[in-house]
Amino acid sequence: MHIPDGFIPIAQCLVYYVILIVALYFSVRWARSNLDEKRIPLLAVLAAGIFAIMSMNMPIPFGTSGHMVGGALVAIVFLAPEAAVLVFTVVLLIQALIFGDGGITALGANVLNMAIIGGFVGLFTFKGLNGTIGKYPAAGIGAWLATVVAALACAIEMGIAGTFPMNIGIPSMVLYHIFIGIIEAVLTVIVLAALDKFRPDLLAWNSGDA
Amino acid sequence: MEKKDMTLIGIAIVICVIICVLSPYIASGDPDGLEKSAEDSGLPEDFSVEEINGIPEAIFPDYAFANDPDNQALQIVALVIGAIVTLVVGFGVAYIVKSRN
Repeated sequence: MHIPDGFIPIAQCLVYYVILIVALYFSVRWARSNLDEKRIPLLAVLAAGIFAIMSMNMPIPFGTSGHMVGGALVAIVFLAPEAAVLVFTVVLLIQALIFGDGGITALGANVLNMAIIGGFVGLFTFKGLNGTIGKYPAAGIGAWLATVVAALACAIEMGIAGTFPMNIGIPSMVLYHIFIGIIEAVLTVIVLAALDKFRPDLLAWNSGDA
Repeated sequence: MEKKDMTLIGIAIVICVIICVLSPYIASGDPDGLEKSAEDSGLPEDFSVEEINGIPEAIFPDYAFANDPDNQALQIVALVIGAIVTLVVGFGVAYIVKSRN
């Protein structure tokens, strides 16, 4: 769901950039008191892994494809959507500048959808369901819902931008991302389970914060 | 850095390289959800809501070398470079913003 340059008028891009700057302020503040030395490599490898997995588009119905995003994953690993904002600002900036994937002007909107909305929806769905259905089902549903809600937000932004109307954009984006969200859910659970098995010390849910 | 962190980074690099090597061959070339939604609403491929100037050319447009965009071996190179750059920048950013306690 990388929005390219040209899909959002510059004036609206600026609004999303303001949101990005505010989000980065809170994210840096979070990191200053919560990102300890031992989780620095984790943040870096999540960024690199997300960069790589985003190249792996998988086929879904309707002649469409999709890839894992990872906003919910990062937010759940750190139990902080702020971590997702840091990771995605790095990944999306590199993708936009070096690879022309996602617009430079649309960076704020792309971070809003994938990291802020994806991270918050993923984490708070996880937190809400964790106690009743267990952490992996909760994380899977959180990741799926994060994808669908981020796609909905993207469709609304496209409607506001005048790029495509919401009456077509919303049903299309939501329908495709209902399927793409399944990829997101499966991979999110696999990565969380692998980390929990091999490096449980890195998962914030094992620090008694969950 | 502790040995187990080096192991984490090593395993992550191996997984990233595997994904980067497979991706040019097995990733679906179908439009993604946003591109397909744009198609559904009849948007032309080079659509732009307004003229935007001054966007620098990407070094590796669409994760490929600009002078040989269909060369899958070079796509792997571009992806691996991207993953390494992301890892290094991720480290740098995390180090700069880390807790000072």
